[in-house]
Amino acid sequence: MLLQNAVADALNSADWAFALAECVHIGGFAIGVGSIAVLDFRMLNLGLRHETAGRILRYTEPWTLVALVLVFFSGAALFLSQTEIYLVNLIFPIKMYVLAAALLFNFTIHRKVAQMESPPPALSKSVAGVSLLLWAAVVFGGLFTGFLI
Amino acid sequence: MAIAHSIQSIPFLSNFSESVLAYPIVMSTHLLCIAFFGGMILITNLRLLGLTFKSLTITEVVTSFRPWKRLGAVIMIGTGLMLATCEAEKYAPNPYFWTKMIILGLIFVHGAIFRPIVYLRTKELDASPVIPAKAKLAAILSLVLWTAMFTMGRLIAYWDTD
Repeated sequence: MLLQNAVADALNSADWAFALAECVHIGGFAIGVGSIAVLDFRMLNLGLRHETAGRILRYTEPWTLVALVLVFFSGAALFLSQTEIYLVNLIFPIKMYVLAAALLFNFTIHRKVAQMESPPPALSKSVAGVSLLLWAAVVFGGLFTGFLI
Repeated sequence: MAIAHSIQSIPFLSNFSESVLAYPIVMSTHLLCIAFFGGMILITNLRLLGLTFKSLTITEVVTSFRPWKRLGAVIMIGTGLMLATCEAEKYAPNPYFWTKMIILGLIFVHGAIFRPIVYLRTKELDASPVIPAKAKLAAILSLVLWTAMFTMGRLIAYWDTD
């Protein structure tokens, strides 16, 4: 079964390995979601007004991508270590669907609007709002997944 | 321990810890603040290190985020207090919890030291041809303290009395 794999063995044999993966996962999403939130903050016109959203995106995007890699690998390790529990979890699949929606939105509409030279303020603001809501839902989904284990 | 027991027996807190939904919602909010406001702390520190946001002045980065970081601190401390006090008997003997509180204290000490010489003097930092060492030191220490802070937060769940 999936549960009997090298990752599960490593993470279950050492208490600290699971804790470390969780810390990397939390630190990673803080950097990833945090860097996206800073761009949304600019798109909502709440600060950093002397720079365009497009330029802010160029600054934050590498941090977002590195963080996503960290979150992906630590998340995969957590999943593989307790596959049976996640597969019967009620919230986990919802979290994954919302995550897919958040990623898709982030790298298509969100990115395009951030790069527009002078987007209508209403468009910029609503796209930033949707982005914040989607990522907030992913974080809530992650925590609720843990509560149902 | 008697004190911890009477704290968590306050009706508001005992109702809260027994609630199926309120407890995880407050914890999710606490966690979400790490991302939303932690991102601002990260960007501020990276700007002080000269690693990103270079076309914006340090002054603009620091002052743009300041009111929002304050709001974040209020939500963080508010939700954190609820989470810790509603299970006071579990938290009181937990060494990770107290380590986290010591780190929180160090974050306030960091603020007391570096606020007057770095964070409130950003115009001087912007005028300087190279970013002064005190600003970089403040940024590195802040990053280390906040990393320790969320790590200890996670480890609180790993300590058990047996």
